[in-house]
Amino acid sequence: MPWESVLPIVVAGQAPRAAESPMDSDAFAGFYERSARPLWAYLARVSGDPALADDLMQESYVRFLCASRPSPLAAEGEVAARRYLFRIGTNLLRDHWRHPRTTSIEEIPEDCFAASGNSAQADSQAVLGPAMAQLRPRDRQLLWLAHAEGYSHREIAEVTGLASASIRLLLFRARRKIARLLREQDARSGRTL
Amino acid sequence: MTTCSREKEVKELLARGHWPQACAPELRAHVSACRVCGDLVLVTEAFQQARADAASAARLGSAGALWWRAQLRRRNEAVERIGKPILGAQIFALVINLLLAVGFLGLQARHGLNWLGWLEQLQQAPTLHLEAVWHSALFSSGWSLMVLIPALATLALLGGAVVYLASERQ
Repeated sequence: MPWESVLPIVVAGQAPRAAESPMDSDAFAGFYERSARPLWAYLARVSGDPALADDLMQESYVRFLCASRPSPLAAEGEVAARRYLFRIGTNLLRDHWRHPRTTSIEEIPEDCFAASGNSAQADSQAVLGPAMAQLRPRDRQLLWLAHAEGYSHREIAEVTGLASASIRLLLFRARRKIARLLREQDARSGRTL
Repeated sequence: MTTCSREKEVKELLARGHWPQACAPELRAHVSACRVCGDLVLVTEAFQQARADAASAARLGSAGALWWRAQLRRRNEAVERIGKPILGAQIFALVINLLLAVGFLGLQARHGLNWLGWLEQLQQAPTLHLEAVWHSALFSSGWSLMVLIPALATLALLGGAVVYLASERQ
């Protein structure tokens, strides 16, 4: 007799009340619908790799659902839940940079090779992409969280795990650097901002 | 680090989407002259545009698939958690079994393997009767054979249980 049969409750997923999912699937679907696009944008633009962003986004949601007890969505509301999600994504990005994983070309979905998005997207990528590529990963994260997501210094500290007091200075330097890069880029292309 | 007293005001206008249409011409003039506010506007506009474009390009998977994947992982984690004490019990059983085996072998070595003499007697006997074998085992070879047989049986039983549990785990 397999020993799992001795523990039918856990194995069959009929876990006791304490281990029950803190969020039902409908609530999760709604939250996912509202938060997935901003999270994907963050992961894709900060990593510069849309295929990696797909993977990390899925992993972020799975960890969000597994780790949260009680769910931040239920306990602190959607804003806190979203911040928590960004924190998971940030940690996954950091892990990826520490131990980069190679992906075989067969594993990359076909649509990643297709011309992606509309012309506006290509424009914004062409403007911001080269400048972002010259920044350190941490600076890219800080800038995205502050200027794309509109997070306060305290919220950025919570997401990135950096000291709240150092965010202001780091952000100031990163902003100054990317502004210079954007201006130089613009001067080369002959546009005016 | 240089700061500007109007930075906060500009930041709020940018966050609300009021820049540049819904702000005073005087503030626009300030931004074009102030390096700090100019950088803020330039960078925030670029990032907001990039966010909007990237968000529209996201290819979202199914929320249901993610939900069930998370359920599956939680289930596996629960099984793993429950399996930990069982693994500990298996290791404990293995260690006890090994100690018993070593202790028993030590005991037999100390008593000079008396029961081997009984085996020799058995080989020399012309006929093999179970009753006679049992009688000679109990009384002719001293107490060592009485210890040997139950000990071997216990070891076999415990060994079987350990092997079963180990294979079950895999």
